[in-house]
Amino acid sequence: MGWFSPKGPARNHTALLYDRRFLLHDTGWSHPECAQRLGALYGGIKNAGLLDRLLIRTARPAGMKWLEAVHDRSYIQKFKQACKSGEPYFGHSDNAMGKETFEVAKLAVGAVLKATDLVMRGRVRNAFCAVRPPGHHAGRSSALGFCFFNNVAVAARYLQKKWKLSRIAIVDIDVHHGNGTQALFEEDPTVFYYSIHEHPSFAFPGTGREFEEGKGLGVGATKNAPMPPGSSDAEYEYRIRRDLIPVMNDFLPEFVLVSTGFDAHANDEMADMALTDAGYAAVFRVIHAMAHRLCHGRMVSVLEGGYCLPCLARLAADHVRILLDE
Amino acid sequence: MFISRSMTRKVVTVGLGATLAEAEALMQEKRIRHLPVVDNGNRLVGIVTDRDLRSAMPSCLCTPEEGNAGLSRFRDTRVEEVMSRNLVTLSVANTVQDALLLIQKRRVGALPVVDENGCILGIVSVRDLLQSFINVMGIGEPGSLLCIVAEHRLGEIKKIVDILTEENVSIGSILVSRHWDREKRAVFPYVHTINVAGLKKRLSKAGFTLVDPVSWYMENLARIPGKGDL
Repeated sequence: MGWFSPKGPARNHTALLYDRRFLLHDTGWSHPECAQRLGALYGGIKNAGLLDRLLIRTARPAGMKWLEAVHDRSYIQKFKQACKSGEPYFGHSDNAMGKETFEVAKLAVGAVLKATDLVMRGRVRNAFCAVRPPGHHAGRSSALGFCFFNNVAVAARYLQKKWKLSRIAIVDIDVHHGNGTQALFEEDPTVFYYSIHEHPSFAFPGTGREFEEGKGLGVGATKNAPMPPGSSDAEYEYRIRRDLIPVMNDFLPEFVLVSTGFDAHANDEMADMALTDAGYAAVFRVIHAMAHRLCHGRMVSVLEGGYCLPCLARLAADHVRILLDE
Repeated sequence: MFISRSMTRKVVTVGLGATLAEAEALMQEKRIRHLPVVDNGNRLVGIVTDRDLRSAMPSCLCTPEEGNAGLSRFRDTRVEEVMSRNLVTLSVANTVQDALLLIQKRRVGALPVVDENGCILGIVSVRDLLQSFINVMGIGEPGSLLCIVAEHRLGEIKKIVDILTEENVSIGSILVSRHWDREKRAVFPYVHTINVAGLKKRLSKAGFTLVDPVSWYMENLARIPGKGDL
């Protein structure tokens, strides 16, 4: 689509935040959270012929000011130091890292912040951030489950502080519960955290039970939908329609952030779910339609997990098509 | 697992002379349901529970006059008149397992722990035991549960542990359960990692069957022979 099309300047509907530097976060040999994931995902979008229709932007590193809106300064410094001194992992042996990891993690957060800017300025309606490392297990001062900085959490605070929004919804469809995100906002009634995931008795990290509903002032602004292993497309779609939509109708978010994990797919070996491509599309359509209805379609989807490379290619293309209103 | 590690040491007690109203206020303030009653020498002489207090209160079906009369008696009555004297207690030599079995057998909600002179040292409630279980299962920390079916023979668990160790995985707990097939055991390691795909592959390669946890719990648990069947 040319810039000077007869219908006037083309306005891209959807942004794709992607940066080759995300591939530099080196997790070593045979680690599931590998650079090839992004290669597969980007390739899937490209081969589906979707790149021309997207506003493609690279990342810039997030500033310390925004990282510190979520993470302790001492934690950030420790991470930086561990990375600089060549430690093979940070916090837990799952969190493998290379010498570029700290900078790449800042870039991942920065990409999400840039995506929120593009949406808030009206440049695009929505965006998909194909970033790594992922973020939803990272807490205020803890790295966990391949996550170092909580990308989505920083974006929520950024939307509140820079763009003065009051109510942010985070919808987490990764197969694992986003314990980091939940812990960061469980006492905060202005950020609603909803997560649908494999039941914590069977899957990492062992949190996200239905009775975890927030704390203090935040009671009622956390909702968890633990799904039995082997849950199907229909069960997922039914559950998300049944319990996400009513709470969001009450909460009335001004912006929807999605923690998009593709690891609930039947072919993903990291968990035990049975979603197909069609099931993923159905679930995401529910969230997409909700954002349209409640907050002018303002939505930024951020990559979390998903480790089956061929699935990532197909699922990412479907994901982008839905963002493009197809 | 000696009980001294799991018991509550700061025991809230009342003296023999305390009134039921005082006992009730104390239970509400401390949010507890069992109050050991001690004599002047801190020796355990009884226990009063929230149920004892409720049964001493006037019924909600009473007329206002009856109710008021009942309430004033409730306020003036001393705990020694309603407390249980037939006590089930533990000593510090007892274990968490003793407490579990005794609580189940005697159907009580808490067990006081006393020394050889009968002086109170601590108390173990069902809630304390639940906390012990959470600790033992390791589920207070982030991790994933594996469900493995193994042959019931010597060395199988070792093989599993060896694989987990080679994969550099820290183990929160391993529960072993009977299987409906008597030649087999179901083994549930709780591992402190998100990265289970590689582990599952290695375990399968070593000949173990990885069970879909739902089919295990939902379909097969009922088929495991109970105590009476063995």
